[in-house]
Amino acid sequence: MPVDRFQGFVFNAADLSEDVDLDPERRKEILFAQGHVGDFTHWQVLGISWNASAEAAREAYREKVKVFHPDRYPGQRLGSYRARLEQVFRRLTEARDVLSNEAARAAYVRQSAPPDEFARAEAQRLDDEARARERRARLARTNPLVARVSRAHEMVERAKRQMAEGRFAQALNDLSTALAIDPTFPAAKALAQEARKRANVEKAKDCWDKAHSAEAVNNLELALEMAAAAAEGDPSNPRYPVFAARLALRRGARDEARAHAEAALRAAPAHGPAHEVLGEVLVEQGDRAGAKREFERALELDPTLEGARDRLKRLRWSFLG
Amino acid sequence: MSETEPFVGIDLGTTNSVVGTVIDGVPRVIANRIGQILTPSVVAVSKNGKRLVGNIAKRQAITNAENSVFAAKRLIGRRWGSKEIEDARRILPYQLVPGPEGHDVRVVLGGRTFAIPEVSAMVLAELKADAEAFFGRRVAKAVVTVPAYFNDGQRQATKDAGRIAGLDVLRIINEPTSAALAYGFGKQMEKKVVVFDLGGGTFDVSVLDIGKSVYDVVAVGGDTYLGGEDFDRRIMDWLTFSFAKENQGIDLRQDTMALQRLRDAAEKAKIELSAAQNAAIHLPFLAAAGEGKAALHLAKQLAREKLEELTKDLVDRCIQVTERTLRDAGIRPAQVGEVLLVGGMTRVPRIQQAVKQFFGREPSRGVHPEEVVALGAAIQAHALLYPQKDREVLLLDVTPQNLGIMVVGGYFATIIPKNTTVPTSQTHTFTTVQDQQTSVRIAVLQGGSEKAIENELLGEFILDGIRAARRGEVEIEVAFDISADGIVAVAARDVDTGQRQSITVTATSGLTENELRRILDENLDELLERKQSGELERLRERAQAMIEEIEGLTPQVRDALDRSHYGKDALQKAEGVVSRARAAIASQDLQQMAASEEQLDRTVQLFKGLAGGAPVPGGEA
Repeated sequence: MPVDRFQGFVFNAADLSEDVDLDPERRKEILFAQGHVGDFTHWQVLGISWNASAEAAREAYREKVKVFHPDRYPGQRLGSYRARLEQVFRRLTEARDVLSNEAARAAYVRQSAPPDEFARAEAQRLDDEARARERRARLARTNPLVARVSRAHEMVERAKRQMAEGRFAQALNDLSTALAIDPTFPAAKALAQEARKRANVEKAKDCWDKAHSAEAVNNLELALEMAAAAAEGDPSNPRYPVFAARLALRRGARDEARAHAEAALRAAPAHGPAHEVLGEVLVEQGDRAGAKREFERALELDPTLEGARDRLKRLRWSFLG
Repeated sequence: MSETEPFVGIDLGTTNSVVGTVIDGVPRVIANRIGQILTPSVVAVSKNGKRLVGNIAKRQAITNAENSVFAAKRLIGRRWGSKEIEDARRILPYQLVPGPEGHDVRVVLGGRTFAIPEVSAMVLAELKADAEAFFGRRVAKAVVTVPAYFNDGQRQATKDAGRIAGLDVLRIINEPTSAALAYGFGKQMEKKVVVFDLGGGTFDVSVLDIGKSVYDVVAVGGDTYLGGEDFDRRIMDWLTFSFAKENQGIDLRQDTMALQRLRDAAEKAKIELSAAQNAAIHLPFLAAAGEGKAALHLAKQLAREKLEELTKDLVDRCIQVTERTLRDAGIRPAQVGEVLLVGGMTRVPRIQQAVKQFFGREPSRGVHPEEVVALGAAIQAHALLYPQKDREVLLLDVTPQNLGIMVVGGYFATIIPKNTTVPTSQTHTFTTVQDQQTSVRIAVLQGGSEKAIENELLGEFILDGIRAARRGEVEIEVAFDISADGIVAVAARDVDTGQRQSITVTATSGLTENELRRILDENLDELLERKQSGELERLRERAQAMIEEIEGLTPQVRDALDRSHYGKDALQKAEGVVSRARAAIASQDLQQMAASEEQLDRTVQLFKGLAGGAPVPGGEA
């Protein structure tokens, strides 16, 4: 039994009997193609199988346009078939334009893939990537220049991952190594700077925790050392020098305390506790007027500082007395 | 369907035109009535008011420069005030004036103004007449070629020229495409072909993908103002400059006759330099030195190297355009399977060398650079008229320039990008830009600039009845459609209300429909008149020749005739025929003369037979 070329397509009797110079088979061919301009894939339009080559698409296009270009019917009455032919021709051209352009074709191949083909293509893609990595590694083993570049590349990639995970110190380490191998590695310098900053912040936080632990066991010397290290590691946070100043005061190191207090104010001139601690230092140093000014400023910035209010009250009294 | 009606393909060139046809499946060129393949595209009105076309017009151009139009193709379809027209006005010896509507260009010839398509039509009519002389009957069906880079206006103007010349223009096709068609005709090939077409006035590059008799144009590019005439001009400038330096600053450009002689000499020298290393330019008595002094002569030697130096930038421009077109086509020079050189200018060694260098291969020598375009046009005409069984041909051409509309801010929004295969259609949705906007003006443009005003305006229309709403809320769908014949139709539709407006863009060739009809009527009258007077003249000559022949034979046949009663009758009849013929000649009436011609012819046959000794019919028997 012959295969139905038109896949059960239902033809309109009026279209088939229109008074034009076309034989019935040709009419059916045109009506069928026109009926499918909307739902056929580019492959189906050109009558080629999924994933056929760009050259095959061009070839199929040339064959198809011989049927569907109006110029192929010289001197014949085409009636409504002229517009139909042009419509099909446009669709063919659209399919050809996509499938003969390598980039567009590759995208369309994925997009129009049958489900099992899609799965296979995905697997293939992952496989290809793994193979590319392997290839790089193999190259690296044999070629010293490539090895250096690829080692630097590896280091930077690892550093990026570490930074994403918050392990800045390790990232900084890898970036420094990468820069040592290849000082011109693009973006590595900027990354290293960022990593250093972030690593210092991390380290300062660590020191700050250690300072508190030391203070809790009354090891003031270690606590002060850690607080000072924290202040140095992250100069933007005023809480570190404030704590260091307090610890220094408690150990009787007034000058060191003053230095920390001033550092706190440099980091954050509007930080209440920084003014408060400077006031405390000034009291110790005997500058009562200066201390009073600092306490007033501290309270103005942060009225919840009960310690400062207390101190200020005491200062006034003694001034009165 | 039988192949009864003759048809032609016409390469309407800037400097020369060629006509061709297909006979028994073989394309061939038709020589003009003086036996030449190339007919100069020159039109003139002589001092006594006669219209001259072709060789005869070119020959008298020196003495009649202001009434001789050459290179009309450079002006066709252009707007008055455009840069090209301004440049042309400075260098052309004939006078250009704006048309009645102020948009187009007219040329003054013998005191009358002609639209450019009218001038081109005279050349086309001449070629048509040559073809008619060749076929021995009327020829109307034609395919005419234009540079690929011509815009819609220029194409339309060329089509109008065909109509004025009495041609039924089946299609306007691109010259490079046409050349490729002739090149590939009858051959089995699968390859990418680049056509490098440098003619008298225009430069064109096309990239085609040929396979299975389908000629698929991938990209076109070019420069409508770059050609052999620019090379000639460089030589002319060099000549006038050195002449002025040697002769106390006499400026030859002030003298149209000297200028025309320089133009011819420059062209000749350029052609000579394609074969020789040196060309001598001698122009005696070129200018008057002043009162009482001897006339000045020009004598120069032009070396090929000097020419190459003078025209280096022009050659560079050709290569740049080629490079850009290849990039548009997405192919590298190495992927090109064949390079065709078309146009007389590609005979210049420096051009061949530059092309060879760019493509890294020897260009094809398989085509005749001047004939190939007309042959391709004839092949296409054949394909458009008669179904082909064995030698099928299908041409897929592209839009040469971006097509789009003007959008807010005076910008140009492309809807159909250049190098799109036709027929094609594209739709784009726009929104309103003002609150409560109820109408929108759609200006249809063609060109390559981002700014709307720098592009060619093809037409415009207004879509109104738009739903009043806040700006940006109303969606207007603009659809462009280009048919296989290259006709552009634009439709705009309000997506919500369904309100629709559309136009078929008939680019303005400069001539209004009414004007075109008037010209057609005038031409028809003139044609009829000319035909009639020609026919009369021919009949009169023939009649007189036959009368003389009859009278010459009468003494010889009198004896034989006298011997039979039938013969006496015949003699009397012959006398009657002669006297009636004389009367007909005197009356100048075509019908009477045609009738008497037949009688004269019969009498001549009879008398000739008798003089040769044949028996008198019904005589001695």
